[in-house]
Amino acid sequence: MQGVTKSYPNGREALHDVDLTIPEGDFVFLVGPSGAGKSTVIKLLIRDELPTKGVVLLDGRDLGRLKRREVPKIRRKIGIVFQDFKLLPNKTVRDNVGFALEVTGARRRDIEPAVDRVLRVVGLTGQADQLPSQLSGGEQQRTAIARALVHNPRLFIADEPTGNLDPLISWEIIQLLLRINELGVTVLMATHNAEVVTAVRKRVVALENGRIVRDELGAAYHRED
Amino acid sequence: MVAFVAFSLRRAWLGFWRNGLMSLAATLTMVLMLVLLSGLIILLTGLNATLNFVQQEVQVVAYLKDSAGQQEISGLEISLQGMAQVTQVNFVSKDQAMKDFLARHPDEAEVINSLPTNPLPASLQINLRDPNDYLDVATYLKSQPTVDRVLNIKQTVDQMVTVIGILRAGGTVILVVVGLIVLFIIVNTIRLAVVARADEIEIMRLVGASDAFIRWPFIFEGALVGLLGALITILLLFLGQGPITGFLSDYFKVLPVEASATVGQNIALIVLGTGVGVGVLGSYLSVRSYLIR
Repeated sequence: MQGVTKSYPNGREALHDVDLTIPEGDFVFLVGPSGAGKSTVIKLLIRDELPTKGVVLLDGRDLGRLKRREVPKIRRKIGIVFQDFKLLPNKTVRDNVGFALEVTGARRRDIEPAVDRVLRVVGLTGQADQLPSQLSGGEQQRTAIARALVHNPRLFIADEPTGNLDPLISWEIIQLLLRINELGVTVLMATHNAEVVTAVRKRVVALENGRIVRDELGAAYHRED
Repeated sequence: MVAFVAFSLRRAWLGFWRNGLMSLAATLTMVLMLVLLSGLIILLTGLNATLNFVQQEVQVVAYLKDSAGQQEISGLEISLQGMAQVTQVNFVSKDQAMKDFLARHPDEAEVINSLPTNPLPASLQINLRDPNDYLDVATYLKSQPTVDRVLNIKQTVDQMVTVIGILRAGGTVILVVVGLIVLFIIVNTIRLAVVARADEIEIMRLVGASDAFIRWPFIFEGALVGLLGALITILLLFLGQGPITGFLSDYFKVLPVEASATVGQNIALIVLGTGVGVGVLGSYLSVRSYLIR
């Protein structure tokens, strides 16, 4: 992101002149209070929103200049999970994950092996035929992670992935994200979870009122002076 | 491509049944509107047929003097046929007029036969392209020496033309208004179905589904609603065919009976086309706001 400013139609400026570079293979925590601009950064990265000023480059492509029909292809390079999981309640774990491939035109015979593979990665092979309502919160989030992984993304975005989970389960999810990062996938995690950020000691980018106020490697959630 | 169409059709089918109540509501609205539409079409078709028939019947009748010679009459006939307003000229001789009279009033045969001479005049019956031209032709006829009298039907014709105009314009306006209402209701009903699946659409967008994959299942679903609505409507019309035809031939006594088969076919096609068209258009408009901005 280079010199990115984002104003919404209601006049609120969510980001102001933000420069942020995330090298491939990085693991980055995006922290800051609510309304600081974390969600806007994510929306810009998945080209759900366009910057008012400045450019957003993803894998060398300027997202602002992307043609409409190229947007879905870029999104397949990004896996994303949210606080509220966004699973389809009437589909099994297997079908929820397979759905991501199905709706992007994958051949049916290619779907099953791909789904089995990511379910193994997140450790849900045994729950493949259960519905989301039969799963714990952690298992639901792991299903969402499996769905986000099934396209072999280059960038993995987690927006408050542990917001709805208790500390122990949160740790499982963080361990899973670290493993995904070890497999070579860039991970960007927006979070409020100070304990996790401080313990993991990765790069921390702190936003406040739409500006980057801190960008440290191996840092804690709060400034350590 | 095949996978895409199969996917879209399968999801349209599943979507239709998953939101069963909503689909039922949309289909029934469609049926209601299509029935209204076809009722209007039937009414207007009958009305138009009647009006056309009446308009064709508008003739100028010029009674000729008994003294008029054959050559003068032929000359008048030719000059009338040369007029742009005139479509057809028929000469009715005194004998023919008598035969026509007797055919219409067989009871009067004795009275007529007791007369020493044939009192009925020969006449020219002139069909007009447009009833509004009545006055031009009548004025011309009155100026001819061979013409005794021109039947004065000016007032009747004027009234008829006014009524015809109002009915046609009114019918067209009603048809357009009903069409717009149909579209509005269907768009809103389908929009509800789309809103009910907003989560699914959001996930599809997030995992990188192209617009086509998001849009087409809904369009097929809309088409399905339209098709089903149209088929139910056609079935209803088919069942109601007897009573409708009875009503029509009672009401519009001059409606040509042989027209009803093609009218029925036309209505079936219009209902089918409108149903599927409105369903597809409704879905297209409803799902558009959910696609990539």
